[in-house]
Amino acid sequence: MNMEAENVVSLANVSKTFRDFWLRPTVAAVDSLSLAVRRGEVFGLLGPNGSGKSTTIKMILGLLSPSVGEVRLFGLSPRSVAARRRLGYLPELSFLHPFLTAAETIGYYAGLCGLTRREASRRTRELLAMVGLESVAKRPVGEFSKGMARRVALASALVGRPELLVLDEPTSGLDPISTKEVKTLVKALAQGGMTVLTTSHLLADAEDICDRVMILNHGKAVAEGEVSSLGTSLEEFFLAKVGSVQDFALAPFLR
Amino acid sequence: MRAFLGIFQLELKALSRSRSLLMLAAASAAWMFVVPRLVVGDGTAEGMREVCLGYGLGGVLALVTVSMLAAATGSLARERAEKRLQLTMVRPVRYFAIVAAKIAALSSAGAAVLALACALAPFCAGSASNHRRCVHVLRPLMPSPREEAKAMYAEYMKLPDTPDAVKKARPSTVLRLLATRAWDRYDTVRTNAVAAWRFPAAAVRGVRSGEVSTRLKFSNTYNARQDVAGELRLGELSAAVSNLTQAVLVFPLADRGGEAGEEGVLSFRNLGKDALMLRPRRDVELLIPADSFFWNLLRSWIEMAATLTLVVAFGLFLSASLGRPVALFTAIVFLLVSEMSPSVVEQYPDEFGATLSDRIGLMVARTVAEVSHPISSMNPLERLSRDECVEPREVAHAVAVNAFALPVFLALLAAFILPRKQEN
Repeated sequence: MNMEAENVVSLANVSKTFRDFWLRPTVAAVDSLSLAVRRGEVFGLLGPNGSGKSTTIKMILGLLSPSVGEVRLFGLSPRSVAARRRLGYLPELSFLHPFLTAAETIGYYAGLCGLTRREASRRTRELLAMVGLESVAKRPVGEFSKGMARRVALASALVGRPELLVLDEPTSGLDPISTKEVKTLVKALAQGGMTVLTTSHLLADAEDICDRVMILNHGKAVAEGEVSSLGTSLEEFFLAKVGSVQDFALAPFLR
Repeated sequence: MRAFLGIFQLELKALSRSRSLLMLAAASAAWMFVVPRLVVGDGTAEGMREVCLGYGLGGVLALVTVSMLAAATGSLARERAEKRLQLTMVRPVRYFAIVAAKIAALSSAGAAVLALACALAPFCAGSASNHRRCVHVLRPLMPSPREEAKAMYAEYMKLPDTPDAVKKARPSTVLRLLATRAWDRYDTVRTNAVAAWRFPAAAVRGVRSGEVSTRLKFSNTYNARQDVAGELRLGELSAAVSNLTQAVLVFPLADRGGEAGEEGVLSFRNLGKDALMLRPRRDVELLIPADSFFWNLLRSWIEMAATLTLVVAFGLFLSASLGRPVALFTAIVFLLVSEMSPSVVEQYPDEFGATLSDRIGLMVARTVAEVSHPISSMNPLERLSRDECVEPREVAHAVAVNAFALPVFLALLAAFILPRKQEN
C-alpha cells in the first residue's frame, strides 16, 4: 500500500521558531515534529497550553510556514488552492461577520468554495437543517449565543464538502448538550469517510471521538498511539506523559 | 469568480449595514447643497458656478477619498486582528482575489457616492450649466521641457556665467533646473515683430469662423498691466488684439479676409509700443469647441473614480502590511504630503545653496511628488468649472493606469505580503 497516498496530512521534521522584528528567535513553538494523519481517521492533537498545538494546526492550514521541515496536505503545499479546496476549518473561536445572517454566512463561504448560486443555496439549507438553525436563518449572527455561533461556524466549515476537517477545540464553550451533539456529528462525519484532525483540552471528549492521538509538550511529540490500545484512560496516559497537575498555592486566598 | 463576487458583496454589505455608505451619501448630498451657499462668491453667476463645482464636488471628493482610505486601511488589518481573515485564507481562493475584490468593492462604493454628487452638481451650479459647451485647450507643439533641457545641457555647462556650484552638481540636478527654466521660458515679441507657434494641424483643420479662440496671458519685464495691441492669425482666421488690461485675454478668431497664414500655425504680430513677453508653454492656448457640460462631467467622474481606485488600492496595500492605526496614519500623512509636495518642488526647483536638512526635505518632497504624480496630476474639477474639456485621452490614461495597472500591482504586492504577515 502506498502510505504517502494514504496520508492526508504529513509533517516531516517540522520546527517553527517565532522571531522578533530583528529576526532574533523568541519562541521555539514546535521542535522536530513528524506526524501523519491517515485518510478516514479521527486524529487528536493533545497537549497543555503552549504545547504547540495551534502552531501545528496553522502550519497544516498554510497560515504559518515551517522554519524547518516540510508540511504536505494531500501531498501538496498547504498554500496551494488545490489543497485548500479539500479542507474545512473550524477555529477555536467562531470569528463570524456579525452583520451577516446565518444563511448569508454559510452562503458566503459556499461562494469562496466555488459553489454556484443554486448549489450554495441548496447546501446552505441542508447545513442549517443539520445544525438545527433553520428557524433563525435570517437573524444576524451577531445576535447569536456562543453555541449557536459555533454551529454556524461548523456548518461553514462543512460547506465545501471537505475531505479533511480541521477542528480547533470544537467543543470549547459549549454546554453539555451541544458538546454531545458536536461529538455525535464528528463521529458521523468520520463514518462517512471524512478525515478529521482535532485539538482538544478535554481529554474525555478526545477519548470519545479520536481513533488516534498525539500528545505534544513544549513543541515536541511525547507520545502517539491508538486510543483503543492505550490500556488505560486517556487522562492517566496524558498525565503520565506530560507531568503532574500543578499544585496551586491557595492558602493566601482562603484566609 | 464566485469567490471574488462573494468577497465583493461582503465588503459592500459591511459598508451598507454599518450605515457608513448611507451616512457618506447623505453628508455628500448635504455638502453639495449647503456649502456652496455658505461660501461667499464674487457676486457673478460664473463665480457661483465655480464655487459650486470646485468647493461642492471638490469637498465631496475629499470626503469620499478620506472615508474610503480609512475603510481600506482598516479592511484587511481589522480582519486579521479579529482573525476573520484566516477563515477566508484557508478557503480555495487566491490571495490576489481577496485583495482585488476588496479594492473593487470599496472603489465602487466611493464611485457611487461621487456619482450622486455629480448628479446633483447641475442643480447646484444652476440650470444654465446643462447648456454650456466645454472647449479643448490646445498648447503649441514643442519639445518637452526635459527634452529641451537635455539639448541645452552641454552648452549651458560651458557658459562662463554658469555658477561653479551648478557645474559641480550632478547632471540630473542640472537637468531638472534647466527643465524648470524651459517650462517658464519667455519668447519676447518686439514692436512690429511676429511670433509664431505651431499647433496640431488636424485639431484646428476645418474649424469655422467664430468657433476658435486664442487665450493669451501677457506680461513684460516692467509692468503687470500694459497696453497690448496686435493681430493674431490662424490660417484664414484672424483677430485684432487691443486691450488695456494685462489679465488673461480671450480673442475669438474670425474670417476677416487678408492674407491666409500657414495651416496649424498661430502667429501674433505686435503692433503696440512695447515689447511683449509670452511663455509659449504656459501663456498661449487655442480654445476649440468640444462637447457638452454633461459629457465633461461624466469624464470628470470617471477620472475621479479612477483616482479613487488607486487611493483605495494603496490603502489596502498598507492594510495588508501594517496594523490598522499605523496604516491609517501612514496613508493620511502620505496623502497630505502628496498634496503639498508638488508646490514645494515648484517653489524650490533646485537645492543649490540649501542646507543639508533642506536638501533632505526637498529630496523627500520630490520623491513623494514623483510617486504620487498619478494622483496629484489628476484634477478634473478645475477644468470642469472653467468649461475646459477633460480630454478622453487623459481619461483613458487614468482608467488604464490609476484604475487598473497600479491597483493590480498593489494588489499583487498585498497578496504577496498577506500570508507573510500571518507569521507575526
